[in-house]
Amino acid sequence: MDIDDILREVDPTFHAIPQEKQDLQDLTRAWIAERSAPELLPWPADGLFERINGNIKAQIEKVEEMTGDMDPRTNFALIVIQTELERYKYLVRSYLRARIAKIDRHTLHYLSTDNLRSRLSEMELAYATRHQALLHNHYLSSFLSSFPPQLQNLNDAAGINMVEAPDLDAAVFIRLLKDIFVEGRGVDSDVTMDGRESDIVILRWSDAKPLVEAGSAELV
Amino acid sequence: MALSLPPGLTHAEVSFLAEMEMVTVVPRQRLDSIDLLSVSNLFPHPTSRHDFFFFFFFSFFLFFPKLTFPFLSFQGRTPPLRPPHRTDLPLWLALLLKKQRRANIVPPAWLHPASLSEIVHRETKENPTAFSEPPPAPSRADLRNPGRAHRQQQQGNTETATGAALLSPPFRASCTADAPAGYLPYHWLEVAESLLAFAGDDCAALGSAGEIRGLLRDLVEVRAAKMRDSTKTLGAEEGSAGGVVSLRGVGAMELAENRGFVLGVVDGVRRIGASAEATRREEEENGGGGGGGYGAGRGGDDEEDSDEDMGI
Repeated sequence: MDIDDILREVDPTFHAIPQEKQDLQDLTRAWIAERSAPELLPWPADGLFERINGNIKAQIEKVEEMTGDMDPRTNFALIVIQTELERYKYLVRSYLRARIAKIDRHTLHYLSTDNLRSRLSEMELAYATRHQALLHNHYLSSFLSSFPPQLQNLNDAAGINMVEAPDLDAAVFIRLLKDIFVEGRGVDSDVTMDGRESDIVILRWSDAKPLVEAGSAELV
Repeated sequence: MALSLPPGLTHAEVSFLAEMEMVTVVPRQRLDSIDLLSVSNLFPHPTSRHDFFFFFFFSFFLFFPKLTFPFLSFQGRTPPLRPPHRTDLPLWLALLLKKQRRANIVPPAWLHPASLSEIVHRETKENPTAFSEPPPAPSRADLRNPGRAHRQQQQGNTETATGAALLSPPFRASCTADAPAGYLPYHWLEVAESLLAFAGDDCAALGSAGEIRGLLRDLVEVRAAKMRDSTKTLGAEEGSAGGVVSLRGVGAMELAENRGFVLGVVDGVRRIGASAEATRREEEENGGGGGGGYGAGRGGDDEEDSDEDMGI
């Protein structure tokens, strides 16, 4: 932070969104999307969570320092800081829990291909692999071992696929972030709609996914 | 279970989100800037010129120690509160200040009874089938072309190519004192409810709380009826089972309330019509060669769906 940054801040032609507001917007958007989408979404790649975790850690340290202060003035600031910290932590926690719930439900599906694996963070991948191994060993020791060897797999794809996948055609609500054509498949006809910015649209997740991934729409 | 909530935001989560909306407050006490994780209002309210310079010097001093802790420079801070200068703060902080009688909240213009009754009129008489329009993105004068203004959000659109992302509610300032009258923002019901409940005396400046509540009640009812009617276009009627339904202007709480029902109807219609849809796609594929590859790719999905139906 030097004099140029300060000058840029007071320059009214410079409307860039500050980093911390952008992070909160990204986190909120990721949380809403994860709560609404029928399948697991890719882990944010741009170091958003490293940044957020670092900020939360620094904030907790500050709270610890301030708690020693008994000045009633800083006391109120402390309340505000702690309230905000809790709100922030709730967002992070709820986001991670929503992801883990999806991983738990379809573990084998998300571990099946490299493409799907890449959606998980390192920690989640370690969790999913270990959890699945534990579960399989438990099944083996309790009942699978008494089956014939060719029936002991949990991921047989011959005949009907044993690996359950989330329903990608489930309907979702999205908000358009820019004017764009929206294509949707329906039962009787396929529709193309001339969407406007801040339209709220119901359509199938498989149709909404390209829009959301391109950043022209968000889940609500 | 890691999370036992159904997919989609619940009411509590929606009101949590609504508490991030920015509102305008008039402080009654001085309060120094507080370092927070996300709240950032680098531009003080335009009505207070003194704030601007005060903040400029203040921030200069604040940034100085940051040089030694570059890590902390990501953090936001609340603008320093100095009565009687207006400031925009998130709703949760404004309500906290209000409860401790440290600030008064300036209710947004759309909460005025005149604005509400205009919206009721529009919703019932002028356009009895669609929701009223969402608020336009705030305009800003363009310094490069004097005399012209443009919507900030659209400027954002052109900036997406360069990496700047777009803001959406609750981060658009749609509940501040600057917000235009006659438009309902995305979190209108939640914000109006908490303002009336916790800042009733500030809302009294607009009109009687009973009148505002009555108008809000009317809006809730007329819009709930529209929400229920929208299921007709969701495919329950013959020949209208398209894939895209637009609910422009709907509110967050209304979505949360009807999410289960509406999405259930859409998914139900899809399941019932899965075999019809598969035959239609096959026919289209055989009839027109143009979209052959497209149809073939989708055909597989539909077969899976009909398998599921049999399983159920």
